[in-house]
Amino acid sequence: MNPESENFEQLRRLLALKRHEVPPPGYFDRFSRDVIARIKAGERGSEGLAEKFPWLGRILAAFDTRPAIAGAFGAAVCALLVTAIVSSEGTAVSTSISPGIAAANSGNPSLTADATLANANVSASQEMSSTTSSNSSIASLFDQFQLKTQPASFSFPGGN
Amino acid sequence: MTDPATGKAVKKVLPKDEAEEVSAPAPAEEQELVNRARNGDLSAYDELVRRYQERIYATVYHMTSNHEDANDLAQEAFIKAYQALKSFKGGSSFYTWVYRIAVNKTINFLKQRKNRSQMSLNDVDFNAEHDPDLVALISDKTPRREANLSELQEKLNEAMQKLSDSHRLVVTLHDVQGLSHEEIAKIMDCNVGTVRSRLFYARQQLQGYLADYLK
Repeated sequence: MNPESENFEQLRRLLALKRHEVPPPGYFDRFSRDVIARIKAGERGSEGLAEKFPWLGRILAAFDTRPAIAGAFGAAVCALLVTAIVSSEGTAVSTSISPGIAAANSGNPSLTADATLANANVSASQEMSSTTSSNSSIASLFDQFQLKTQPASFSFPGGN
Repeated sequence: MTDPATGKAVKKVLPKDEAEEVSAPAPAEEQELVNRARNGDLSAYDELVRRYQERIYATVYHMTSNHEDANDLAQEAFIKAYQALKSFKGGSSFYTWVYRIAVNKTINFLKQRKNRSQMSLNDVDFNAEHDPDLVALISDKTPRREANLSELQEKLNEAMQKLSDSHRLVVTLHDVQGLSHEEIAKIMDCNVGTVRSRLFYARQQLQGYLADYLK
């Protein structure tokens, strides 16, 4: 295989036509001016960000010149996200089984207080299901939370 | 340079052998400009842009076959290069490095553009009508004698657009811009053998697409 073979000579001559395709006259006189103007405009716009986070600028620059680094970074972020999702699902399952235990184990006083309240709710609901027929137990249930109960009465103007 | 007959500005096109000799300018001088630009000297960067703007623009233009896209991408490549100058270690020449940025940008752009390819071709300059190779191609040796330059240009660009991005890039850099296999390998971050095989395959494909114009 010889890419420089004579077989391609005519094709190469034809391809030379592309060298004659040129942009409008004066285009390259403006080109560098436009580039410099855009650089200046960009510097004014992103001055703060680049100065605050120079490491960010270096990383983005590396992404531009080496797309492989961008790919590796993307893969690492995906892996981190998947790990985070999997581990958060595990935590959610364990707290939903026993929120009181999980909170109490965490040692956080506010969470412990919440857990105590949650446990009180659980025991209250158990109590309610076992003694629904007893008004006194219902009253004691509301007493436990110091809630005021009052009989409801409705009056309709039309008499209905 | 001005054409004496028409007074129209024309661009000197290097013959193939001469074009193959085109390479980066003196490294010391270039390094000095890069250092100054790195320290925020925009006039030094302006000089660097002026040196390479035509080649970068041409590469992107031949890849996209669209002047507006080429203009945007070439400008963005130079802007990105300026922003990334601090990370430029000087392992390769500035010229190769800018090329690489432009090529990566163009390939990413072409991947996104895939389904809305629209050509916006530049005019063929005055020299083309007098290029003996091209005159020969559009006259006696070409079975389609009615073919004129603009038709030939359109067919050529259509054929180029049928190539894959990497094959089109190799043909553009080698056969249109006259870069050596080694320079192309550096720009494309692959080995010289890959460049040669891609060039061979791309030329074969083009020969098939343009058979009517090459008999």
